[in-house]
Amino acid sequence: MTLTRAQEVAALQQDLARAGYIAEPGLAAALLLMQDLERPLLLEGDAGVGKTEVAKVLAAVRRTRLIRLQCYEGLDAHAAMYEWNYQRQLLAIKLLEHDERGVAQKEQDIFSERYLLKRPLLEAITCAQPPVLLIDEIDRADEAFEAYLLELLSDFQLSIPELGTVPAVSRPLVVITSNGTRELSDALRRRCLYQYIDYPDYDKELAIVRAKAPGAPAALAAQIVAFVQGVRRMELQKRPGIAETLDWTAALLRLGISTIDKDGAERIMDTLSALIKTRDDRAAFPREIVARLAAAC
Amino acid sequence: MLTIDAPLNLRAADRLAGFPGFLRANGFGVGGGDAVAVLQTAQRVGMLDSAILRWSLQALLCGRGDEWQRFDELFDAWFLPANRWQRPQRRDGDDRTLRGEWSEGPAGREEAEDDDALRPRRSASRQEVLSSADFRSLTEREHTLDIEALMRRFARQLKHIRLRREARAHRGSRIDLPTTIRRSIPSGGTPFHVARKENRQVRPRLVLLIDVSRSMALYSFFYLRLARALSAELSDIHSFIFHTRVTAVSQALHDPDPWRAQEQMHLLAQGWGGGTRIGDSLAQFSREHAARIVHSRTAIVVMSDGYDTGDPQRLSDALAQLRRRARRIVWLNPLCNRPDYAPVCQGMQAALPHIDLLAPGADLASIQAVLPQLIDALR
Repeated sequence: MTLTRAQEVAALQQDLARAGYIAEPGLAAALLLMQDLERPLLLEGDAGVGKTEVAKVLAAVRRTRLIRLQCYEGLDAHAAMYEWNYQRQLLAIKLLEHDERGVAQKEQDIFSERYLLKRPLLEAITCAQPPVLLIDEIDRADEAFEAYLLELLSDFQLSIPELGTVPAVSRPLVVITSNGTRELSDALRRRCLYQYIDYPDYDKELAIVRAKAPGAPAALAAQIVAFVQGVRRMELQKRPGIAETLDWTAALLRLGISTIDKDGAERIMDTLSALIKTRDDRAAFPREIVARLAAAC
Repeated sequence: MLTIDAPLNLRAADRLAGFPGFLRANGFGVGGGDAVAVLQTAQRVGMLDSAILRWSLQALLCGRGDEWQRFDELFDAWFLPANRWQRPQRRDGDDRTLRGEWSEGPAGREEAEDDDALRPRRSASRQEVLSSADFRSLTEREHTLDIEALMRRFARQLKHIRLRREARAHRGSRIDLPTTIRRSIPSGGTPFHVARKENRQVRPRLVLLIDVSRSMALYSFFYLRLARALSAELSDIHSFIFHTRVTAVSQALHDPDPWRAQEQMHLLAQGWGGGTRIGDSLAQFSREHAARIVHSRTAIVVMSDGYDTGDPQRLSDALAQLRRRARRIVWLNPLCNRPDYAPVCQGMQAALPHIDLLAPGADLASIQAVLPQLIDALR
């Protein structure tokens, strides 16, 4: 019996939840579509809303490898694609010194696949089983790299000058994340499916805390989430993400704080370093404000 | 392979295929090829469950955050029965009548030449343009060439900064192993010719904050044209306008089509020419955009006369905060080259301790005059 699409979406949502990720049905639908249309998925949203986690959990659900390419300023195609194993090559050159063969043949030997080190992009297209390829924070890499990546994502083949063209053995599931520090090209956006991930609402965040921190009592978890949601509504330089919520939960548990209320404001102050990460933001949380937020929980 | 048979009937397929065009008319960056992808998607996910179809098409057709936010409304408008919506819905094969009625975002390029009578909304919006602010001067031919030439020079000199820094750092300090080894093969593995890697290119990022309040009315278009010309030359530049709040205009300025750039600016400029609250605007900038955009190699250029109706303390605080993030803050003040000018107004007094350079800039000649100082400050 074939499942309807709605059932498929619900099933994937359950799988994701079992793997520890609470996803909206919209995201689950996009993940399914990504496989149908063989397009990459571009995730945008503030830092700390769980973009990278999507790729990790997708790999877990599909029972496949996660190959991660972390982008940074000055990342060039070589570092992302392949490198030669120089040490072994040098050794081989020395060993071949007294060889009778011609230079061309020696060169062919030295630039053979034995001396090739696969970097994420090459690795991803030569896996027997399609892996999940995570291209993290693409906005940190420069435009030239983006254009290069675009070419890879349309053809799924790489060319290595010394070896020739390497076609894809399998098509990886590509997840691209961006924090929006740089405007991405329209060409890249058009090639990808798109998903904007916002800070979670109360219910979703509570479900996440319950799943990720099973040690926290239900009442405390609800209070923690209410407090964090209150913090996010304030005008801050850096709003706390989900990771911060979980860190803070761990900190509260470690200190044996079992309930958040006005009287415990002093002890809550001690743990705020897990939640508030800049000096200016810290100054926005004097005792009275913490007490008021705590009282509202 | 695309076949439009059951379960997609022809009518539904027709409706679906028209959806990308409708989004395009509403300012989405979708292309003609997307109709095929829409039909493929609909075949995969089925038409029965409208929520699933909605999510799937949203992932497929959106490309950026603002499109993501507006999608739901447009999806409803296109697919839900007409009686749920107040606005008239006609579809007689010609999309243009429809676009005119629905168009809410910046309109597409080809519409510029269309007959106005078909599109009541657009003609109304044109009157608004005339009554509020005349953006046509944004792309006027006059002076444009001069501005472009000067900004090209400025951009070249910015690149020059980079080259000098590299020259000082002994161009290419790291060894390029692959090339070195390849070159060493003929000599039996002895690297006679050591190849070096090019040093990483670093160039300051520019953030332009342009005051468009009433007191700046004489100068703000000039500054916008500067920003537009500069955006065409540099890739790493972000432009904002502010009066009582701050609005990002990089995308509008970057549009190669001058007509569309005007239209987008018009949409962005509500509140144009009103009062000024520089402190609030900068605080908003530092809250909403600075974390993303301003890094340790960023130069912030504020273009304002410093006449502020807000609290000077707030301006001072906001600038101090930005100063900690950014590499340089430069203030271009159009009043500065009057002979009797002294920065005595409250706004400038509050700002002075936090800025690296206060420079005049009322017209092209004065900008040209301060260019060396500007380059020096950005170095």
